[in-house]
Amino acid sequence: MPKRKLTPLPAAAFQILLALVDDDLHGYGIMRHVAEQTGGRMRLGPGTLYTSIRTLLEAKLIEEIDGRENAKGHEERRRYYRLTPTGRKLVRSEAERLADLLRVARAKNVLRGEYV
Amino acid sequence: MSEKLYSLLLRLFPSEFRQRFGEEAIQLFRDRFREEKGFWLRLRLWADLICDLVVTVPREHVRVEPQIAEVSAAGVKRGPAFQITPRATTRFVAIFLGIAVSLAVLCIFALSVRYVIRHPATAPGLVPRALDSGVSSGNERSQAPNTDSLKLDTRTQKRVIEAAATNLREHYVDRPLGQQVADSLLAQERNGGYDGVTDPAAFADLVTQQMRNMNADATLTYFRQILPQPTGAPTAQQLAGYRREMEESNCTFEAVQILKDNVGYFKLNSFPDASVCGAKAVSAMAELNHADAVIFDLRDNRGGFPAMTTLIASYLFDHPEYWYNPRENTTEHSWTASPVRGNRLADKPVYILTSRTTISGAEQFAYDLKMLKRATLVGERTAGAAHAGAFFRIDDHFGMGITEVEAINPFSKSNWDGVGVEPDVKIDAADALNTAEKLAEAKLAKK
Repeated sequence: MPKRKLTPLPAAAFQILLALVDDDLHGYGIMRHVAEQTGGRMRLGPGTLYTSIRTLLEAKLIEEIDGRENAKGHEERRRYYRLTPTGRKLVRSEAERLADLLRVARAKNVLRGEYV
Repeated sequence: MSEKLYSLLLRLFPSEFRQRFGEEAIQLFRDRFREEKGFWLRLRLWADLICDLVVTVPREHVRVEPQIAEVSAAGVKRGPAFQITPRATTRFVAIFLGIAVSLAVLCIFALSVRYVIRHPATAPGLVPRALDSGVSSGNERSQAPNTDSLKLDTRTQKRVIEAAATNLREHYVDRPLGQQVADSLLAQERNGGYDGVTDPAAFADLVTQQMRNMNADATLTYFRQILPQPTGAPTAQQLAGYRREMEESNCTFEAVQILKDNVGYFKLNSFPDASVCGAKAVSAMAELNHADAVIFDLRDNRGGFPAMTTLIASYLFDHPEYWYNPRENTTEHSWTASPVRGNRLADKPVYILTSRTTISGAEQFAYDLKMLKRATLVGERTAGAAHAGAFFRIDDHFGMGITEVEAINPFSKSNWDGVGVEPDVKIDAADALNTAEKLAEAKLAKK
C-alpha cells in the first residue's frame, strides 16, 4: 500500500525528501525548507505535511529521531526526521528521472533556453 | 485562542492520526503563528490551514490501515482467516463519559416514567376533568385534611393569597369583579388582616368569607384546605380506590326494580363516573326498558359526574336534547346521546323523587328534565348547590373553587344554585315514592 502511494512520488513527498537531504529537520523546519525550495509556492499545511511524513516513514524512506540539542544547548522535545539510505537513493533516482524529463523537454524546445 | 480553535479543528482527523501527530501539528501551527504576523500573513495562514483540512481530512478517513491492508492481502492467499489487528484502545475518559451519559439518560427516563405513573393527570386526557375540578360531588368540604404539621406564617399567607389573587384575575367569569376581589384580598394581606391566623382551616374560612362578601354567587367561589398532595390530580391509588368503592356499592345504584303496574323504579344515590359505572348504568336502564313509566329516586343522591347524568337522560328522549350543565359551556357532552338503540323509554312518563338533600349533579338531572317538561318532580325542594366552579390547587394545602364559565342556560336566567329545584308536586320526601306511584298509576290508567 505505501509503495503504491509513492509511485509516482507525490510532489509533496519529493519536496520533503529533498528538504531532508542536507539536514535533519522537524516538521516546521521541513515546511520552511519546502517553501524556500519552491519559492514560496508550496506551503505545506500540517495535514499534508504529516500524512506525507507518515507515508514516508511507513515506506522507510525517512526515520524519526528523538529531540536533539538546539543552538542554546537545550534539548528540544520535537521530533526530527532524517533521510534513510533508501530515501536518499529514491531522491536521487527521482531527481534523475526529472532530469531525463528535462532533457527531453529541452530537446523539444518546450522550454525557453534562458530558464535552464 | 487561535491555537484552541486549531486544536478543535484537528479533532476532525481520525484519532489515530491525532495521537501520532496531533502535538506536532499544533507545534507547527504555533511556529507559523509566531512567525507569520500581520493581517495578510495571518489570513494566508488560515486559508492554508483550511485548504489543508479540506484536502487531507476526507483522505485520512478513507485511508486503509497498512496492517489491515497487509492482513487482507495475506488472507486472500491463504484462504479465510481470523486475525486481530492492533488498534488504539478507547480512552478511559471516553469510556467514563459514555457510562455517565448512559446512566444520566436512563435516570431521566426512569424518573419521568415514575412521575407519569404517579401523576397521570399531567398527561392530558387521562383523567376525567370532573375529578379534579372539584365539581364532582357535593362532599368537597367533608374531607379532613391532615394539617398537624402545618402552621401558617406570614410568608406562606402572602404566597397563598398572591396565588389566589392570580387565579381570580385569570379565571373568574366576571373579569372586573375577579380583579376587584383579588385586589381586596391582597390589600387585606398587606394590611396585616391575616396576622395571627395560623390555623389553616380558620385561614381558609376567612378567605372564603371575604371572597363571598364581595360577590354574588356565593356558593361558587370558595377557598379551602385540601389534603397535602403533590398535585391537584387524583392519584392512581385514589382512582383504584374509587373503582373498588363503586364495585362494592354497586355503583351506588341501590335499587333497580319493576313495581306494580309495570312501573320501573331506579334508586341511584350518586351519578358515578361513567368510565367506571357506564356498563352498570346501561344494564340498569335495560332492566327498566319494558316498564310503562319510570321513577328515578334521587332523594339520597349526592351528585357526581355530569357525563353520567347525560348517559341516563339519553334514554328519555328520541332525539338529541340539549343537556344543560352550569359547570361548562356547550361541548359535545352538552347533548344527550339519544336515540338509544332498542330503547323504549323515550316516550314513557318519568317521575323524579327529590329531597332537601338532593344535591349537585342530581339537581342538574332533575332541573333539566323539569325544564324540558320530560319529568314530574315529586318531593321536596332540592339543596341548591350547582358547584359550578372549577377547582384550582394553590399548593399542597390550599385550593380554591372559582366560577369559570357562564354556561348558556336555555331555560331561564338562573339555575338552581342557592335556591334549589322546586318540585312539581310538593310533598314530604318520605311520602314521595307513594305519591309518584299513584301519579303514574293514574296516568297509565288514562291511556
